[in-house]
Amino acid sequence: MAARDDQPRPLAPAPATGDLLTQVARGDEAAFVKLYDELAPRVYGLCRRIVRDPAQAEEVAQEALVEVWRTAGRYDPAKGSASAWVLTIAHRRAVDRVRAEQASTDRERRVATEEVPYDDVVEQATARLERQQVRRCLQGLTDLQREAITLAYYRGYSYREVADLLGAGLPTVKTRMRDGLIRLRDCLGVSFA
Amino acid sequence: MSDDIHTLAGPYALDAVDDLERARFDRHLATCDSCAQEVAELRETATRLADATEVTPPARLKEAVLAEVARTPQARRARAARGGEARWRRWTAAAVAAGIVAIGAAAATYVVEDQRVRDAQAQAAQVTSILDAPDAVVRTGDLAGGRVTVVLSASLNKGVAVVQGLPDPGTGKAYQLWLIKDRQPQNAGVLGAGASGGARVFSDVQGADQFGVSHEKAGGAGTPTTPLVGSVNL
Repeated sequence: MAARDDQPRPLAPAPATGDLLTQVARGDEAAFVKLYDELAPRVYGLCRRIVRDPAQAEEVAQEALVEVWRTAGRYDPAKGSASAWVLTIAHRRAVDRVRAEQASTDRERRVATEEVPYDDVVEQATARLERQQVRRCLQGLTDLQREAITLAYYRGYSYREVADLLGAGLPTVKTRMRDGLIRLRDCLGVSFA
Repeated sequence: MSDDIHTLAGPYALDAVDDLERARFDRHLATCDSCAQEVAELRETATRLADATEVTPPARLKEAVLAEVARTPQARRARAARGGEARWRRWTAAAVAAGIVAIGAAAATYVVEDQRVRDAQAQAAQVTSILDAPDAVVRTGDLAGGRVTVVLSASLNKGVAVVQGLPDPGTGKAYQLWLIKDRQPQNAGVLGAGASGGARVFSDVQGADQFGVSHEKAGGAGTPTTPLVGSVNL
């Protein structure tokens, strides 16, 4: 853990995200601003991707970021990186929002009439992922693994809905999500100690 | 249904599970260190997918967030080192409780919003105690095109059931939930009139071997109309 230092020191390396979060947990608003600058583009982008409607996405991103402030003390570095913790909060909130939308709109019908429901997301995801390692690794998955993962992560579908959309069995979809993520993990070299 | 719980690791890491499945998997994680490690890595991996979504947010978002932060007190730290796990469980319980409120009001979908969660503290406490019970068992089953999830704790002698996606019961009609003990039905709650799903907390679960759903007039009946819409073995 880096020594605390309330004075910004431009020449010093930027503190690691985990250290920022620890400072935020102590009520350090300046640290929160730095954390915001680092993570808000991903939080907002993820909300946009999942929720789609820009005004609602902004709302969800705001809720998620304030939740980060509010609950920073609960972050446990032993359980994962700070950015994963923050993005998990944002992802969960965005998924909740689209699932809540289901209550008022008939999602089945929307899915049926929506143009190219999942090719579209894969394509969009792929386009956005250009120049990124993630793209290469996603391409290394089987079609079913990739579609299952992107539908769930970028669209907020439950694995049951994914099974419906892809016309695959539930056990298959569950298994593809897991072994697809494992393959992605190995390709991206993800680990944490 | 402790079958192939490991395969839920993928959907879990992607938030592609429902609240009760999440609770079930959380409970599993608490007893399985290697799974916890795997899930942590899969979550890190899933998070990398967010890298690709990066978009510069409008400046007003920062202003709005910082303004809210300035007037928002921070929550206390988790009680113990296992706070992360406890946090997810509390969250799940609150979500389920909020679902109870929301489902009763409208459709068979969880509507999880902070305000509702706060409004549902009482149910949350009950549901938390059931989900947290060391002997809680979870049973799920398909039923008349819908889905039912039942969590029972023998030590608390309480249970919670969530029913989703049943056919429209019709005007003035409702679905009623039953615990069946040695062929004797016992009322476990009536869903809202016209509701195709809902959740109910009930007690006196000891000895129950089946969970059933019947189709009744709104408000429910003293004994179930047979044949039942469906049932699940407990």
